[in-house]
Amino acid sequence: MNTHIDELISKKIEQIKTNTNVFESGKVIKVKDYILEVSGLENVAFFEKVTIWEKGMGYINEIRENTVIVAIVKQYEPIQVGDIVNATGEPFKAIFAPESVGRITNLFGIDLLTGNSFDKTTYIDIENPIVPIMDRREVNRPMLTGIAGIDLMYPIGKGQRQLIIGDKKTGKTQIALDTIVNQGIQRRDFGEDTTCIYIAVGKTKKEIRTIYSELLKRNALSYTIMIVSTNEDTPPVISLTPYVGLAIAEEYMAKKKDVLVVIDDLKAHADNYREISLTSGKTPGREAYPADIFYLHARLLEKGCQHKNGGSITILPIVETRGGDITDYISTNIISITDGQIVLSEKEFSKGQKPAISYGVSVSRLGGAVQNEKMKALGTKIRRKLLSYLETKEVYELANMDEMTPELREKMREGKRIQEELKQMKYCPLSEKEIIDKFRELGEENE
Amino acid sequence: METVGRILEISELNVKVLLYQNNLHIKDVITCTMNEKDYEFEIVEIEQNIAYAIPFERVTGLKKGLEVSKKEKGLSVEYSDQILGRIFNSYGQPIDNEKIIESTRTRNVYDRNINMKEISMNNEPLWTGIKALDFFAPLQKGFKMGLLGGAGVGKTVLIKEIINNVYKKFRSNTVFVGVGERSREGKELYDEMEKDNLLDKMSMVFGQMGENPCSRSKAVYSGLTLAEYLRDEKKQDVLIFIDNIYRFVQAKSEIATELKRIPVENGYPATMASDISEVEERINSTQDGSITSFQAIYIPADDITDEAVQAITTHLDGQVVLDRKVAEKGIYPAINVFKTNSKTIDPEKIGNKHYDLVQETLRYLSRYEELEEIIAVLGIDELSEEDRRIFYRSRKLRNYFTQPLFVSENYTGIKGQMVDIKDVLIDVEDILTGKYDEIDESKFLYRGTIHE
Repeated sequence: MNTHIDELISKKIEQIKTNTNVFESGKVIKVKDYILEVSGLENVAFFEKVTIWEKGMGYINEIRENTVIVAIVKQYEPIQVGDIVNATGEPFKAIFAPESVGRITNLFGIDLLTGNSFDKTTYIDIENPIVPIMDRREVNRPMLTGIAGIDLMYPIGKGQRQLIIGDKKTGKTQIALDTIVNQGIQRRDFGEDTTCIYIAVGKTKKEIRTIYSELLKRNALSYTIMIVSTNEDTPPVISLTPYVGLAIAEEYMAKKKDVLVVIDDLKAHADNYREISLTSGKTPGREAYPADIFYLHARLLEKGCQHKNGGSITILPIVETRGGDITDYISTNIISITDGQIVLSEKEFSKGQKPAISYGVSVSRLGGAVQNEKMKALGTKIRRKLLSYLETKEVYELANMDEMTPELREKMREGKRIQEELKQMKYCPLSEKEIIDKFRELGEENE
Repeated sequence: METVGRILEISELNVKVLLYQNNLHIKDVITCTMNEKDYEFEIVEIEQNIAYAIPFERVTGLKKGLEVSKKEKGLSVEYSDQILGRIFNSYGQPIDNEKIIESTRTRNVYDRNINMKEISMNNEPLWTGIKALDFFAPLQKGFKMGLLGGAGVGKTVLIKEIINNVYKKFRSNTVFVGVGERSREGKELYDEMEKDNLLDKMSMVFGQMGENPCSRSKAVYSGLTLAEYLRDEKKQDVLIFIDNIYRFVQAKSEIATELKRIPVENGYPATMASDISEVEERINSTQDGSITSFQAIYIPADDITDEAVQAITTHLDGQVVLDRKVAEKGIYPAINVFKTNSKTIDPEKIGNKHYDLVQETLRYLSRYEELEEIIAVLGIDELSEEDRRIFYRSRKLRNYFTQPLFVSENYTGIKGQMVDIKDVLIDVEDILTGKYDEIDESKFLYRGTIHE
């Protein structure tokens, strides 16, 4: 025993003398995909950044009695047992460059269009404590999407978290992009200064490039940051990217600015987190997701708020469903966090109704609180008429039109017209005034 | 403070501590300091000289080898008359940035257990002014009422409406416990109460969804401790609102997973039933005062057979179930009348008339459900005269039980209304006997009474 300790001490002194081990270092003893077990790192902190000698980078995910667990975020070469791991004495932080507005970047602060890092960068904490209850304020300013069906009936407020949920190819991302583009129009016409952050969670490079060019074409990049993780990144990076995006948003909010954050999408994020959890040996729960899957998204989305300093973070998370089922585990978890949801349905989409919003099941929990008086008055009337039409339609679909009471016939006719008027092509935003003009007549009571 | 041990292992929600002596107990609180930041942990498991503890907050930056010391009194809440109008975190500390609470006494949050002798029953009815609730699931003082629903079907709206109606009407002392719910809603409730000058009789405790599971699970205990003070020492009738008790179970399962305990179905901890009992058994009325509780219960994945939901509902005296299928039709509150019930639906308690009307209404509505399926295939014209009558009257009944709520005025644009149970009984009888057969069904939507 004593000789062993003596050996250790003399070795350490030797290392310090020869200056070969300025930082504390340890050795990889186990490699399991992107999770490493490292021995010898005795003095590291939880979530500290570590480097794997010339091969990659990671952070401390767990401290055990004799070893530590490291999650790899960056890997240049395959890591083997015996590789040297160095502690850095700093927490793992993301790198952000203010000049990344208009560019595609990742959490390492790299301009992905050129492959170089930005000139001026700052380190930012990946996860800040959530804004305390007493520092929040009521959400009551509109965040206009330019889409009549949303702005009129299911309005979104600055500081609201509004979920966009639906199957593949129902136009979920499109609604988010429409909203980002509309912020440019709000800026041009009303001088509103909203910064947009688009967060891609494990998307393909092609998808990201397409979104970039769409936004570029519509001059939306002058106020938009794209912070992305591609499906080539390691799962820990994919899982941290939304937090980094929100941390950047918090920087803007602290400067009393309004931020719109789009997270595309959280189902992929949940699946990615499930992979990490199962790989690191956590007990699976419902649908094999770990028990803290709710907390994972709750603490992320709770960053959306109207701060009392005047700044705000609005979040539009996207969730992909299967077979139009919004009652599966992840979807209901997220619905129970957000302040409402816009449900897109394949049925409506194939009927040609675009945006393919399923009006019966969409909800905004803030409702009229975020609308101006005119929009609120008109919106509640139109929504009531439309919903009552949709419900009645189901029951009376087979009834003979001629035998209906005139009241009912009028209701059916009007409902159909409302539905028709709500159709809107992509990137054709309507201002509040245009929406009011378009629907004023339909909102009149006909009694 | 004396040091009691050293940190050996750290993971997100679990810290292993080497103890110097065997003088610690489960539920003791230990603390340590790192980079001028204090960390606190609660001991949940002891094995010889090794203890496992769960951190109150995030552990980022924590290191192995740090010395820990024991905090006297464990997790306890300071209280006095001044708790009313204040807002606390899960660990009983005021977070409204106001003055400290003076002339306090302290209670450990786990200490109070009620024995059978203490329990007292009270049969005074308690009307909420919400038609569907008073009609299908009438309440009594000292009741435990569950409000069940999946995501986004209106649990929080309903609980806020009850606060609005019951708290404003009776002005009894109230504790609101926010567990794992939205911070925005917590702040809005506070703002609304402050604006209406109603904070003077309400304390709030929040462990919201952005906080770690330890914090979320402790909010319930702290809230209950405040309610018990009002009952035991102030000898008052107390209302307690818990939004949402399911989140307590959820937080417990997160902790259990981190402790590597073997779970039961769907990842819930094996100790779930006893965890729930521990809390629910404290919510009881004694000779000194009653505790009436309203507990929102989240239904995960819209699965009402979920173990946690079932384990909670066994403790309830009544339940209101909110249903997505009803909400999709634009009927709010989206009550599923068949799953909604109460121990008071008994002719001895509510009288024959009310009882009979409930039974008849349920008969109509269940026939209506069957008819809906027939109509989807054959259309209305094919129904018999009797069925057609049931069909139209049921739609009127269904519409009648919608109600303009005070708290959703912003959303509906209609002014909220409270309806007396006597009026509800008259209206329901009139609809059932056909008095309104000539009136269009849409006239019954979102209004108070009809007969006036």
